[in-house]
Amino acid sequence: MTFLRLVIRSLQFHATKHLAVILGVMAATAVLTGALVVGDSVRQSLRHLTLDRLGRIDHLLLVDRFFRAELATELSQAKAFEENFAAAVPAIIIPTATAELPRENSRSLASGITLVAADQGFWELNNVDSAMAKVKAPADGEVILNAALAEELHAQVGDTLILRMAKATQVSEDSPLGKKNDRLTSLAELKVREIIPAEGLGRFSLHPMQTSPKNAYVALKPLQMSLEQEGKVNAILVAAKDETRDLSPEASKNLTKELQQALRPTLADYGLALKHVELKPEVDGQQQDVINYYSFTTNRMLLDEATERVAREAFGKHGSYPVLTYLANSFDKIGAAEGTKGVPYSMITAIDPAADGPLVDADGKVLPKLADDEIAITEWLRADQDLKVGDRLRVTFFEPETTHGDEKEKSAEFTIAAIVPLTEPSEPYSRRKGPQFKEPPTRANDPDLTPEVPGVTDQASIADWDAPFPFEYKRMRAQDDKYWNNHRTTPKAYISLAAGQKLWKSRFGAVTSIHIPAAPGMTAESLEAEFHAQLAKDKELLGFELSPIKARDLAASAGTTPFDVLFLLLSMFIIGAALLLIWLLFRLGVEQRAGEIGLLQALGWPQPRTQRWLSAEGLLVSAVGALLGVGAGIGYAAVMIHGLRTWWVGAISSPFLMLHISWLSLAIGFVVGLVVAQLTIYFSLRQLRKVSPRQLLAGETFSPLAQFAEKKTAAWRLWLPYFFLLLAAALAGLASVLTAEAQAGTFLACGASVLTGLLMLISRQLGYRTGAANSANPFQYVLPSLALKNIGRARGRSIGTIALVASACFLVVAVSSFRLSPTEQGIGGFNLIAESSEPILPDLNNTAARKDAIGNAAAVLEGSTIIPLRMRGGDDASCRNLYQAQQPRVLGVTPAMIAHFDATDVTKFIFAASAAKEAAEKSNPWQLLAQPAKGEEPVNVVLDMNTALYSLKLYGGIGQRFKKDYGDGPPIEFRVVGLLSNSVLQGSLLIGEEDFKRVFPRVAGYRSFLISTPVEKVAAVESTLTDKFGDEGLDITDSRSRLRDLLAVQNTYISTFQALGALGLLLGTFGLAAVQMRNVLERRKELAMMRAVGFPPARVAAIVMLENLLLLCGGLFTGLLAALLAVLPHVFLGGASLPWRDLLVMLTAILVIGALVGLIAVRATLRAPLLAALRGE
Amino acid sequence: MTELRVEHIRKEFPTRAEPLVVLRDASLQLAAGDNAAILGPSGSGKSTLLHIIGGLDRPTSGSVKLAGQDPATLDEVQLAKFRNRHIGFVFQDHYLLPQLSVLENTLIPALAGGAPSAETVARAKTLLDRVGLSQRLDHRPAELSGGERQRVGVARALLLKPVLLLADEPTGNLDRSNATSIGQLLIELQKQEQTMLLIVTHSWELASLVGKRFELDNGQLKNAS
Repeated sequence: MTFLRLVIRSLQFHATKHLAVILGVMAATAVLTGALVVGDSVRQSLRHLTLDRLGRIDHLLLVDRFFRAELATELSQAKAFEENFAAAVPAIIIPTATAELPRENSRSLASGITLVAADQGFWELNNVDSAMAKVKAPADGEVILNAALAEELHAQVGDTLILRMAKATQVSEDSPLGKKNDRLTSLAELKVREIIPAEGLGRFSLHPMQTSPKNAYVALKPLQMSLEQEGKVNAILVAAKDETRDLSPEASKNLTKELQQALRPTLADYGLALKHVELKPEVDGQQQDVINYYSFTTNRMLLDEATERVAREAFGKHGSYPVLTYLANSFDKIGAAEGTKGVPYSMITAIDPAADGPLVDADGKVLPKLADDEIAITEWLRADQDLKVGDRLRVTFFEPETTHGDEKEKSAEFTIAAIVPLTEPSEPYSRRKGPQFKEPPTRANDPDLTPEVPGVTDQASIADWDAPFPFEYKRMRAQDDKYWNNHRTTPKAYISLAAGQKLWKSRFGAVTSIHIPAAPGMTAESLEAEFHAQLAKDKELLGFELSPIKARDLAASAGTTPFDVLFLLLSMFIIGAALLLIWLLFRLGVEQRAGEIGLLQALGWPQPRTQRWLSAEGLLVSAVGALLGVGAGIGYAAVMIHGLRTWWVGAISSPFLMLHISWLSLAIGFVVGLVVAQLTIYFSLRQLRKVSPRQLLAGETFSPLAQFAEKKTAAWRLWLPYFFLLLAAALAGLASVLTAEAQAGTFLACGASVLTGLLMLISRQLGYRTGAANSANPFQYVLPSLALKNIGRARGRSIGTIALVASACFLVVAVSSFRLSPTEQGIGGFNLIAESSEPILPDLNNTAARKDAIGNAAAVLEGSTIIPLRMRGGDDASCRNLYQAQQPRVLGVTPAMIAHFDATDVTKFIFAASAAKEAAEKSNPWQLLAQPAKGEEPVNVVLDMNTALYSLKLYGGIGQRFKKDYGDGPPIEFRVVGLLSNSVLQGSLLIGEEDFKRVFPRVAGYRSFLISTPVEKVAAVESTLTDKFGDEGLDITDSRSRLRDLLAVQNTYISTFQALGALGLLLGTFGLAAVQMRNVLERRKELAMMRAVGFPPARVAAIVMLENLLLLCGGLFTGLLAALLAVLPHVFLGGASLPWRDLLVMLTAILVIGALVGLIAVRATLRAPLLAALRGE
Repeated sequence: MTELRVEHIRKEFPTRAEPLVVLRDASLQLAAGDNAAILGPSGSGKSTLLHIIGGLDRPTSGSVKLAGQDPATLDEVQLAKFRNRHIGFVFQDHYLLPQLSVLENTLIPALAGGAPSAETVARAKTLLDRVGLSQRLDHRPAELSGGERQRVGVARALLLKPVLLLADEPTGNLDRSNATSIGQLLIELQKQEQTMLLIVTHSWELASLVGKRFELDNGQLKNAS
């Protein structure tokens, strides 16, 4: 007989006893493994979804302008490309299109559509095994819809629909020279050729999200024509050659760098131009070199900051200088006779004197530099307004940026410092040629000082102007028409660059062109090469940044929520109950073998050896249990995944999850399950060390008499329960003055204190001596008294059981109260929330602007508040998106919104925390966004606490700084100044409007709206706004529904916690039965004595049953009481609600099942033969 | 007049081979106020006989008559009531409930049918006074000596005025001084209560205190001198 053989023989003999322990270990391991597998499944499903959604697309170039489609071909011919990449497909991707399906008396609208226009090459980017790879690209007049869009439109194959999208505007709508109207174009009469499932490139999306995007696919050419961008695209999709390549961010970095270097956009692709401006008239038979420079311009009118910087660096060595030309609405002589008309609609240039510049006097001598309040005017203007040097001139102009499309005029006054000669041509402009001069023109005869403004500068007559600003033709005089015919856009006045930039610099730029004096050998091509070289040197991409979309989205698929940790936490009661079961059952098994152990020790086995023997048995038992648990864990995970796809789908928004199993998780589950079980067994055996061999031989594992010996209790221990109850009262008082999460958390702490105090009191009560000698009758209520005294017999065990049930009950009930319902504060008092695909310019909060925009129907908006917000589209950073948000959507908070919350009688969003210091800020923390960041300061941001914690992992609270790279400039640094509590604004970063305009200069207008309207007008307001702005894709939703959807995530986790907590509680009731079994076994002689002295069996059974119920009810009642004390104030204050019915059903079910399980102990009591029990057998 | 008649009791236990016969033809008779002891070596069957008389076990054949009833003919519930009403047990292991006080332990037989009456509680206190524990009513068994615990056992056995007091090795776990003291107490109380007392013991010293002595020999009861 070896040690091992003894262990195996023991195992065989006690197999039935160990079966229960195996089940316990199995349960614990199953839950551990299951949680890990759920985590694997979520991550792998997100990864799978990413790989499916992007197909073979590895990199993406998406820019905010149109460029030559050939750039894709040029890219694919680069050597660096050929090595690693297989295809570069040009496409137009519009992420904010709108679809309309006209019906007989109505129309279906869908906004926020991703429109993809590409040739067959796009569909070949599908994974080869995808059914989508067989899709044929739509032809002219056809559209393919994905299932999600078709469902929203209720569209069917053969239907005809319209797609709308923004025109390719170059000048921002927020510029006075940008178009405010007629900004949309459309593709009409598109026949739905096919509805494809949302899989493969059928769910192509620029933003990682597990929900299905709404996509429409059209042919490339018709869209190019509609956008007036023939031969141009705005995106290139790049497929990698080796699809199995390492997709880690590090590995992608080098590949992206190589690909980026291979991408060579031309100046035209950037929307830039280098024009050789020459004016070499023949005077007296001799050609004169009057103007000879290169003009570096952009089709966006103003060179953006980065382009200007690179150009100045590139061309500085050639003596280049910047020019800023602006539109002067009027030049008026100050002090002119009444009735004198000023000069309307003229160009004025801000420029400093230069050798080849226009600022020269009649002798051709360069003028001295103008002071900031000085102006040089052309001879034409002088003559027209009868001006002279020293006169004052008022220049009226539009402010360089508009809000809500309202151009505001401003004026500045200057002193005339010089008169610049301007030669009148002998022949004006004609269709084929420029003006002809008999007299030598001057350097001021330069219309190229003005950038192109389509619809204005390219028109032959002022009468043909398609001015984007309020243009009053009646102000034009005959001489103005003549000037246009002779000089076109030639400026009439000049001020210093500094003065000009002070007046007209905007977020769009500060320079309209850069002039490079021509030099021998200099060509436009050589200058372009210098510009490209400088771009490369500065690592400036001017928006042409190739994004490693697959690697980026795969990194995001690591997810926002560690589901393995989450499910471990959600399942903690199951694990706790399982461990309790292991502890109890193993102890039970060992105690039944106390005699064996005592015998071995009596025969000389050292105590450690008997411990090793039992531990070895325990290890083998645990190993079998853990092994079975791994299998059961897969089943548990499958049930959880099924739950997440069905009952708990609210937590993940879309039933996309699939079961994915990794060997590593199974191995970890097995090892952790084994170790935890073994530790539990170790602790269950440790108590045996204190028991003597004599006691063990007598079948005793502890001395029942000794534990009731009188022990003196320290005074502080007597007061401890009351301390906790007092603490609870203090916490309740504190909670009443707190708000939001702080209040809920304090109430929870209050409940936990009550629970601790109550458990201590119960513990003491169970230990108290009862039935005083002087009392008339110590047994007024026999069964309850006896049952109570009996559960006090093994006080620690009973309190442990009550505490387990009470804690589980407390947490399940208390956590249920965190179930959230939409509140008035959560929606900030705005009952509707709207988003549009295209910016809406009119100020819908202004009665006059409403009427202008909507007409008489605007009357319905009376009494409604409509707060506009700017929006930079991006990733949804709400809890509904399981992917990590890389570029969260940003909203620009307008002064109107800040002012709205200054009022005291409006409902306000609740701030869980803010950086407010001043009283005004504390009363309205939105004011923290009023002041824009200065210099290098980070941008102040307000965001929902859930977005901060769960999506962006910002745990630092107020003051935390973080950076986000939006790809269209340097990464933006934000600083958290406010955290909103459970608001409908979850998922976005909210920054001040001024900051927004600075960091996203190209984003114009307003696309997000908070609407507060009287309840009875909701439908009418919704219908009026949708009718008017349907083409812009205005989508209005009920704020409460939106918030309910957002809160559903947390609520679903609470439901999951409740369900798993209830399961744990249920398992705990089995633990309770095990405790009862132990009690009954330990007391078998005493119970037999009671039967011997005449207790009927049913009465003995009733006592045992009552003990079981007392423990169960004691736990449930204590937990419930503590939970209610914690939760009810919160409920009464409106911060929480309880699912009473669910809780009642759950607790009743547990009570009933617990009682039924308790019958096991009763049965054991009744079945024990009386005499055998008396003898302790 | 109440009497105990035990006639031709036979008790067999099944084994893999032939049944093990513990009692062959055991008979005895006691009248009210009688006290007797059954002596015999370990394994002779004396406890088995006591259990059969006390209704804790059933004989293979033969009969027991006490207060006009044969416990072997009763069902479980009737039997429990029979034991409660007519029999008092004193066990070698006193089987006191550690969680109850001395008084509460004494009252246990009264709890079998419901709450004890005030008279019962008063009788319990009287009995405890008579066994010398009137100052220890509120104490727990853990706070008593071995002899004191057995005194509680004696008081408990007499609570409901049983007609028959059965004591199974009542002094088996006690030292000599305590054993004598408990023996004398048992006899004294039995006489005061006018009940029958049947003691199973292998202690001649204890047996010498009672009026009748029987010896179990080969499964049969014989008078012992």
